[in-house]
Amino acid sequence: MTWELFAVFLGSSIRLATPLLLAGIGEMVSERAGVLNMSIEGMMLTSAFASAVGAWATGDPLIGLLIGIIAVQPVALLQAVLSNTLRANQIVSGIGINILVLGATTLAYREIFGARSRAEIPGLGKIKPPLLGDIPVLGPAVFEQVWLLYLGIALIVLTALVLRYTSIGLAIHAAGAEPKAVDKSGLSVTRIRYGCVLFAGFMASLAGAFLSIGDIHTFTEGMTRGAGYLAIASVIFGKWRVGGTVLACLLFGAATALQFQLPALGVDVPNALLIMLPYLLALLAVGGLVGRQMAPATLGEPFRR
Amino acid sequence: MTALDQTGKAAAPRFRLRPALLVPIAAVGFAALIGLGLIALIGVPVGDAIAAFIDGTVGSAYSIAASINRSIAFALVGFGFVLANRANLTNVGGEGQIAVGGIAATAVALDGHVSGLPLGLAFILPMLAGVVAGALWGAIAAIMKIKAGTNEVISTLLLSFIGVWLLYWCVQSPALLRKPMTSSATLPESLEIPEETKLPLLTGDYSFPLHIGLPIAIVIAVVIAVVLSKTILGLRLRAVGLNPVAANRAGISYARTVIFALAAAGGLGGLAGALMLLGEQYTLKDGFSSGYGFDGLVAGLLARGSVTGVIAAALLFGFMRSGGINMEMVAEVPTALVVVIQGLIVITLAGAALFIERWERK
Repeated sequence: MTWELFAVFLGSSIRLATPLLLAGIGEMVSERAGVLNMSIEGMMLTSAFASAVGAWATGDPLIGLLIGIIAVQPVALLQAVLSNTLRANQIVSGIGINILVLGATTLAYREIFGARSRAEIPGLGKIKPPLLGDIPVLGPAVFEQVWLLYLGIALIVLTALVLRYTSIGLAIHAAGAEPKAVDKSGLSVTRIRYGCVLFAGFMASLAGAFLSIGDIHTFTEGMTRGAGYLAIASVIFGKWRVGGTVLACLLFGAATALQFQLPALGVDVPNALLIMLPYLLALLAVGGLVGRQMAPATLGEPFRR
Repeated sequence: MTALDQTGKAAAPRFRLRPALLVPIAAVGFAALIGLGLIALIGVPVGDAIAAFIDGTVGSAYSIAASINRSIAFALVGFGFVLANRANLTNVGGEGQIAVGGIAATAVALDGHVSGLPLGLAFILPMLAGVVAGALWGAIAAIMKIKAGTNEVISTLLLSFIGVWLLYWCVQSPALLRKPMTSSATLPESLEIPEETKLPLLTGDYSFPLHIGLPIAIVIAVVIAVVLSKTILGLRLRAVGLNPVAANRAGISYARTVIFALAAAGGLGGLAGALMLLGEQYTLKDGFSSGYGFDGLVAGLLARGSVTGVIAAALLFGFMRSGGINMEMVAEVPTALVVVIQGLIVITLAGAALFIERWERK
């Protein structure tokens, strides 16, 4: 493999990992607090659609992004109400939301764009950070990315700091591990969990917008294709830690990038196997390659005073 | 509330209007109303859409049979869901289990030796192959659960994606099941399965293509209902579902019960895939399982543990899908509308579960 090809591989790994990173960190925060959002997939799809429509209608991808972020909040709120206030089964309600969003976005897309549209949608710009971007060969191929990635990195670092050094981080952790103790201390478990689900929704909305107006500048029906579930798998793989989740996402991104890279190198591997690879890796990951899992104690269980 | 109970009792003493029955009906009604609203919003005359919908469901002998065949696949996946759920396991991998079932059934049906077998073995063997493939697919999730504590929801979901891409691989690769490539225009699909391996039609008439999958599904429904309510096996599933530790103390193997439950659920999904292929489609194509797994899952969810409930929900969705497809063709209402309605039903029921429980306890 030449340096050029390696740089391209690295760059596309990071690009393909970006939506997983954004959604995965949000999901991790929510799971730390005890809420499993199967609806990450639906939240991403909502934003992928809403931001694409927004960017297309206004001609401004930034407004599109904003519309995507706003559109996801009701979906996240629905998930929060279902899993906290109504104490619904979090898996069932999440899958229900995913089905609803898949139907609704497909329906709305057909109505707005027609069945066979390939509408070109204005997308978010790329930036090349100084210094890093000036490295020969590697710089442009690896570091010239959509600015949403850099915003995402900043948000991830911020999340890690908040989780580690602040009382908010402690409260989130405790809400998942010892909700009864949190309740006794006078904090509201429900309020913490609501906040975390809405945060997961916010991160998923950035992830979804990245898919449509960040990466390929168009929307296709059901375009998330399981990325939300991969994000959930990356949280498990990453053992509910920021660093681990980031690494897992990068691994899944690299596995996806192989799809385009191996054929370019003339390696003859069935295309289907390559498409399957991230899911296969995720399955191996959740199936014990990482050892015994250390899920938050009350993950998936609604809190009852 | 008492008035409700009284009317229920007065009308049919043994069939009291329980919330577990009322709420799903209300949820379906609510979702259907929103569906009608959306049709109006799209700008299609609601009357036209309803006419197309009815025409697609019961408009002809063919559409009735097609709807029932579809319902059979949903019901089998739903039965599997209910069975595994008795042990507190959530199998959401129906889609992949259908896919691998269809692949195995096609592979065996296309094997040169099978079509010549007597006594119906020509279609029984491919069918069994589908069951075995689905069961193995389900068992993977069970083994992961026992060995590594992996939540079966995430493992069956990931296995679903893998199964669907496996199907894609099988029909793309001439070394696997793709038909011989005679030109670059050869479609990525398998050869048509031999005549002898196709499921016999009940009437022998292609204008009413009900096949023997129907009696098979009815037998399975009865068996599962009996197993769940009257046998030790059913008790074991329930015991493990309620408290695995206590069940283990009582001598019920957690591992064996989990493997049985998920393999059985997977096997039923595999059977659904095999029936779809051997009874209707005859050639393996990419995406042939698309949506079926989730519809079956939703049927299982709606049923709240009851086999009769699965049948009712499966019939509802089977006819709804057929109606939806016809609505798209005739009245230009996208089938995605049916998906919206389903999503609403699931969300409503998930949200209402707490109320149903409280209400039932009163």
